[in-house]
Amino acid sequence: MTAYIIRRALYTIPLVIGVCLITFLLFEVLYSPELRARRELGRHADKKQIQEIIEREGWDKPLFFNRQAPGFAKVRDTRFADHMTRLLTFHFGRSEKTHEDIGRKIRRGMVPSLTLTVPIFALGLVVSICLSLAVAFFRGTYLDLWVVVICVAFMSVSVLVYILGGQFLLAQHLKLFPIYGYARGINSAKFLLLPVLIALLKGLGGDVRFYRTIFLEQINQDYVRTARAKGLAEHVILLKHVLKNSMIPILTRTVLAIPFLFMGSLLLERFFGIPGLGNMTIEAVESADFKVLSAMVYIGALLFAAGNLATDISYTLVDPRIRFR
Amino acid sequence: MKYESNDNGNGESNLSTTLRSIRLGTGGAGGSGRGVGGSLQPSAFRIHNFAFILLFAMLLAAPGGCSNDPYPSPGGKKVIYAALGEDPHGLDPAQIGDTLSGAVAAQIYDALYEYHYLKRNPYELKPALAAAMPSVSEDRLTYTIPIKRGVYFQDDPCFKGGKGREVTAEDFVYSIKRLADVANKPRGWWLLEGKVVGLDEFHQRSVDLLKEEERMDYESPVEGLKALDRYTLQIRLKEPYPQLKYVLAMTYTAATPREAVDKYKDEFQNHPVGTGPFRLAEWSKRWRLILERNPTYRDEYYPAEGAPGDREAGLLDAAGKKLPMVDEVYYTIMYEAQPAWLYFKQGYRDVSGISKDNFQEAITPNKELTGEFERMGVKLIKQVESDVYYVGFNMRDPVVGASKKLRQAMSLAFDTPWRIEHFMNGRGVSAQGPVPPGIFGYDPAYKNPYKGPDLEKARRLLAEAGYPGGIGEDGKRLEINYDIGSAGPGAVQRARAFQNEMDEIGIKVNVKTNTWAEFLRKTDKGALQVFRLGWVLDYPDPQNFLQLFYGANKAPGPNNTLYDNPEYNALYEKMKSMEDNPERLRIIRKMVGILVEDAVWIPGTHSVSYILKHQWVRNFKPHGITGGYLKYRDVDVELRRRLRRQWNRPNYTALGGILVAFIAAPIFLTFLGKRIGRRA
Repeated sequence: MTAYIIRRALYTIPLVIGVCLITFLLFEVLYSPELRARRELGRHADKKQIQEIIEREGWDKPLFFNRQAPGFAKVRDTRFADHMTRLLTFHFGRSEKTHEDIGRKIRRGMVPSLTLTVPIFALGLVVSICLSLAVAFFRGTYLDLWVVVICVAFMSVSVLVYILGGQFLLAQHLKLFPIYGYARGINSAKFLLLPVLIALLKGLGGDVRFYRTIFLEQINQDYVRTARAKGLAEHVILLKHVLKNSMIPILTRTVLAIPFLFMGSLLLERFFGIPGLGNMTIEAVESADFKVLSAMVYIGALLFAAGNLATDISYTLVDPRIRFR
Repeated sequence: MKYESNDNGNGESNLSTTLRSIRLGTGGAGGSGRGVGGSLQPSAFRIHNFAFILLFAMLLAAPGGCSNDPYPSPGGKKVIYAALGEDPHGLDPAQIGDTLSGAVAAQIYDALYEYHYLKRNPYELKPALAAAMPSVSEDRLTYTIPIKRGVYFQDDPCFKGGKGREVTAEDFVYSIKRLADVANKPRGWWLLEGKVVGLDEFHQRSVDLLKEEERMDYESPVEGLKALDRYTLQIRLKEPYPQLKYVLAMTYTAATPREAVDKYKDEFQNHPVGTGPFRLAEWSKRWRLILERNPTYRDEYYPAEGAPGDREAGLLDAAGKKLPMVDEVYYTIMYEAQPAWLYFKQGYRDVSGISKDNFQEAITPNKELTGEFERMGVKLIKQVESDVYYVGFNMRDPVVGASKKLRQAMSLAFDTPWRIEHFMNGRGVSAQGPVPPGIFGYDPAYKNPYKGPDLEKARRLLAEAGYPGGIGEDGKRLEINYDIGSAGPGAVQRARAFQNEMDEIGIKVNVKTNTWAEFLRKTDKGALQVFRLGWVLDYPDPQNFLQLFYGANKAPGPNNTLYDNPEYNALYEKMKSMEDNPERLRIIRKMVGILVEDAVWIPGTHSVSYILKHQWVRNFKPHGITGGYLKYRDVDVELRRRLRRQWNRPNYTALGGILVAFIAAPIFLTFLGKRIGRRA
């Protein structure tokens, strides 16, 4: 198993480098050193100052290959090498817009993000599995029909509509929640209620339909027929046999999502004013804060790789037939 | 500074400056959770009934503990509630170049001078940390400035014993040197570049040291920057620079304690230590920024005199009271305009701008408040800003630069009133020249003879310029490239309007959209033909606007039109170092006359900001120049609390209705479906 994990970890290297290369190219090519310098220095910067800062930050180095440099420095003394060093050592530097330390910015942003995403994830998992089990139990009835219809309706509307509609109806007109904002600890509940509700409704449709399909597929298997023939009650079949055998697809969907809980939610955080990482990422996009963005993309790639690995490992835990090779 | 567009001028950018509003007091916490169960007899109920009642009680109790008030209880404190459109970009005085960060920093830091809160036309400077206005030598090159005694920095661990130290003249020497040191990435250096004896050499040394990755030695003397004694600062200039007094009122030159810079280093920008009325209590990025009263703030009192009309408006009622008037300023960082607007409507923000989307909700076509806002007791304040938006001509261009009549014709075809109505919701004043209202030299009676729309005259002039009906001597239609520094919908719409206007007189306009950075690069190279730009004042002196035409300032300097007229240049050189007096006024008028006759610009508009203020806000008067004005503002906490509670009663009946409808609809549809099925 250790060998397997190491091998999987090695697979992630090309993935991560590839992702970093793309973000690097996007920004370095589209966003010239001069523009970045101008932003550092403001509107009244003169040519001399701009040149100074470009030299200081090393933005005048070649992108990938430094002809002038001797030996190994031909590759090392380039902007791409600098960029990768920053990322691989987790020394992301300072934000180009606010000059904050990016590492600390990310650590601080994680907590508000988690207070939003963990309830969404946990509640979403429980509610959608319960609901889809219920629907599978009552398959073919009006309950089944309406739950699926409503779920699909919820799923088919853009999340922005929920956000604006929710703010308009529940927060502005019914005045049940604050429209926007955040608080620490237990007081955050009233701010999180609406975004969590929206994310739940939005996510429910896909999950319920997916799990329902899995459960129904299992219900038509031979072992279920055998169990029925044995005289087991339908609810016992569902909870003991069907649920267990459906674990693999459920795990694929959920375990992969866990690492991304740390990244927060872009839209919800933005519109509800939750000061997490999603909000921070949008801010970085708007201000073209290259250093923050590449750090977030890098961390995202690492989390994705971690999620994949965790999914694979979790398979062996639920299905002893699966072995690492 | 250059501005691309005034799209935001009246809208969201107000979030940053004027939305530094207020709000306070918690609303209905604990109000409505009572009244359940008093007469109930639990014994009479079965268990599941009891559970049901418990649930019901919890639902009823919820409004008590869970109102829509987004703020923690302020206790007994008086709080101003405001919003910021984004986080400040750091609070290091030397680095602050934008109005949003500047408006926050100015509450924490004090400079030598500050603007009088109430006086206008012109704006008036008064001493802040200085004890008096500077005494200027005969040759106008030496400024001697006495410093107030007994002013202390706020208490901070960076000082010995954590107690704030007294401010001395050396602090200003240090702060101004910081502005000249490139290692600090100073944004205000251009204001002093080439002005102070020895400071440019200091600057150059910092550039050289930076290459060797060494830090500047702040002990090294600068000849023109001296502390004569503990309480006297002397500045010696290379040339007369009467605008220096405005520079000494900017946050750039605010008293910055060396101890704090040395202790916090890179974190200094997140850890401001100043002498101002407020100090930073908390700054949680993307969430909130809280300023609290600085307990060791010097004795400052509310002004006893103001502009005409201020007494009637109640702005002098607080005369003589000690500042600051409130205990805390609570800024919420709100990126989106919509929630910020709803906050204002619910009473959770004290002052607000109006974005374009919400304009019709708040303002009638007659430019008055709508009934809804009237009933809330909101007041509308209109403020003419000191900015100017214009269409510029490249005076080196072989086509538009060569023909004065062509430029005049284009100016006459330009329809400013239509633009003000359609693009600015009427929030603009037609500009007649480069100098905006509120600035010395502005003449409200002056009418630019080439301001349109006057198509007949435009066509006549165009023909005289050699393009009758827009057709040149070569028989081809005149084509002009029009560059704008944005591809946003507002900017493009304006450009289309320009296209249509020029089409009316037969000129074909090709619109070129650029990113702001591309646009700047093109202006620096002088590669534009016709372009749209704006200028917002840096300091309230006409020189700040008239320099845009001075030959020696040609791009990459601020003169984007590359205008170079010896007569104008001579007048400019004379005017720039004069004090405001009738002679200067005469010269300024003459200069404006030359510019108008040469039609270097098509002057467009000066913005007018519409600001809404709730009735509980006291002593509020918008100021055109960024500064620390929150110390004057006051709030009626009791009134705010009452109105907020009244405006924010949760509506549970409607919620119940929605839930019932939501559950009933499928049941009804099922029922209906079954009946139809049965019939079939």
